[in-house]
Amino acid sequence: MSAIHLQNLVKKFGDFTALKTMDLEIADSEFMALLGPSGCGKSTTMNMIAGMEEPTSGKILFGERDMAGVPMGRRGVGFVFQNYAIFTHMTVRQNLAYGPRMRGAAKAEIDRRVGAIAEMLQLSPLLGHKADRLSVNILQRVAIGRSAIMEPAIFLLDEPLSNVDAAFRAVMRTELKQLQRQFRQTMVYVTHDQLEAMTMADRIAVMDHGVLQQVGTPLEVYNNPANVFVARFIGAPGMNLLKGRPAESDRGLVIDLGPLGVTPPLPDELATALRTVRGDVLYGFRPEQVTLAERGLSMPVSFVERIGARTIVHLGEGEGAVKAVFENGVGLSVGQAAVVAPPASSVRVFDAATGLAVRAG
Amino acid sequence: MSAVTATISEDEMGARTKPATPDEGARLGFRLTLPAQILVLFISAFPLLMQLYISVTDWSPLSGIGWWNAWEMWNSFANYTDLAADTRFWSALQRTAIVMLVCVPAEFLLGLALATLFADDFPGKRIFYSILLMPMMVVPAVAGYMFFMLFQSGGPVNDILSRIVGTPVTIAWLSDPNLALIAVMVADIWQWTPLMFLILLAGLVGVPEDQMKAATLLGADAWQRFTTIVLPKMKTIIIIALAIRVIENFKIFDTLYIMTGGGPGVATETISVYIYKVTTQDLIWGYGAAIALAILIVLSIVAVYAMKRMAKAREVPA
Repeated sequence: MSAIHLQNLVKKFGDFTALKTMDLEIADSEFMALLGPSGCGKSTTMNMIAGMEEPTSGKILFGERDMAGVPMGRRGVGFVFQNYAIFTHMTVRQNLAYGPRMRGAAKAEIDRRVGAIAEMLQLSPLLGHKADRLSVNILQRVAIGRSAIMEPAIFLLDEPLSNVDAAFRAVMRTELKQLQRQFRQTMVYVTHDQLEAMTMADRIAVMDHGVLQQVGTPLEVYNNPANVFVARFIGAPGMNLLKGRPAESDRGLVIDLGPLGVTPPLPDELATALRTVRGDVLYGFRPEQVTLAERGLSMPVSFVERIGARTIVHLGEGEGAVKAVFENGVGLSVGQAAVVAPPASSVRVFDAATGLAVRAG
Repeated sequence: MSAVTATISEDEMGARTKPATPDEGARLGFRLTLPAQILVLFISAFPLLMQLYISVTDWSPLSGIGWWNAWEMWNSFANYTDLAADTRFWSALQRTAIVMLVCVPAEFLLGLALATLFADDFPGKRIFYSILLMPMMVVPAVAGYMFFMLFQSGGPVNDILSRIVGTPVTIAWLSDPNLALIAVMVADIWQWTPLMFLILLAGLVGVPEDQMKAATLLGADAWQRFTTIVLPKMKTIIIIALAIRVIENFKIFDTLYIMTGGGPGVATETISVYIYKVTTQDLIWGYGAAIALAILIVLSIVAVYAMKRMAKAREVPA
């Protein structure tokens, strides 16, 4: 088991910069998710940790040990590939035994370790099966077992659930989380699916365009996004952001949203921080936190989506569009005007020029 | 029942031609493909039967009767008993086997080495690739003439050897009974390594890259990856490549015949050359047919064995 330190990590492919100066501390036994859209540099980061790619500059340390020049076979890293990369021409047993066999372990030793891992992963009855006709969750277990048998300090998982159909993903997520609890290894999990990151990770590193945007627990990232990208990316749908300008009123500091009117007054701490900002700001609140109110922003309903128990109501148009999520059906129909108000405590404000969150205190 | 059939046929494409029962479908299919089947059967079976027929007679084109009347010259399997005692046949067979045992492994190993090299990128790869495939496209007879000239005692091969050794080399490659076979084998390896390379490269690029990476991460070195991942994954294609070359090489003729004509003496006389001489020079067609049939049986055994191995390679884990 080992912590991972990424220091000033940069990766360039010719003229293209895949990763711009990344610093990240991953604690021992932590489940860290690297989350971001495709091309954000998360896989590049992971490949560098695994040793498949050499960093252009910067350092990777496992604990105290600098990994520069250490080939991937010697890093003590378990890697679970997107499609698991199971050796299909071998049996489950041969797959599990592969690592120790390549390291020249004795046959009795291999048998003992394969037996133990198979027992732990409930693969014992399948040991004799050929690996090309197994279901995905078995493949996942074989892939994890095959790496775990080497007792790696670090486990890297590259979008292992992206080829799995949605219904099965929930099962796999639970199983994966349980396995991590069992092994207590440091895990780095690359994904573009925030649901996976939110449900499994201890902390999430949100990335975009080769830049680390925010690192935090799932709730921190959800509740206090560091910038506009994180605010929009996390949450389904993402945070509502309305452009406006701070303005003083007799009830306190409000934000003038132009044609949409004026927001309710902001909490004092946020107002204090906001007074230092010059220029436009973005007024943000989560669709899930929107409530229908007597006073607030009045907007026409443009579209109503019903997803089972949840209802997503689209309000307004263009720049001033807002989504509201209600847990139950609401009596709103297209064309009707709705008055919505986010609770003052859930409001987040971002500097429109820099995209950064304006933090209270 | 009829209601069910109706819904199915409405749902499916081409419903109108869909037969009511599978049995009827099979019969219709058989009738529709019958002409083609007869043609194929005729093309493959007719020469075989004709050969079998002639091989039990003393018939030749000079006998003055049509081949269909060859039964008049029936010789009670004398051709086959002669064959068993024919030392020239047995030594030709032995020579053919030697050529095969040298050429095919050489072509395989060279082809595999080249394929491994070409699986990775390197500068100028496309040009080398084209050059490498060229020998395969040369007409074998032309290749025969090329090597005939290369191996003359005053030819380029000796010229290069002279430069290396420093003293003039005048080896009579094609008229030395021992060296002639080597020269012939060099020509065959030159011409057919590219085919081996091409087939093996196709197999090699088909080896999943992530499985190779997984093996590396699990601590396998390059040689271990090759033996535990690459070779098992290529098993089927290796069997195909070897089977093609074994069968083709067994029939080695054109290049060889132009280079040496089977000589000096019978030093490079392989089975094909021997059959050619028996039929076109000695004009004993019945005997030629008997030899050819014996060879066909040998090659069929090779083919069946290869196909069985292939089926096994696909089913049983390594």
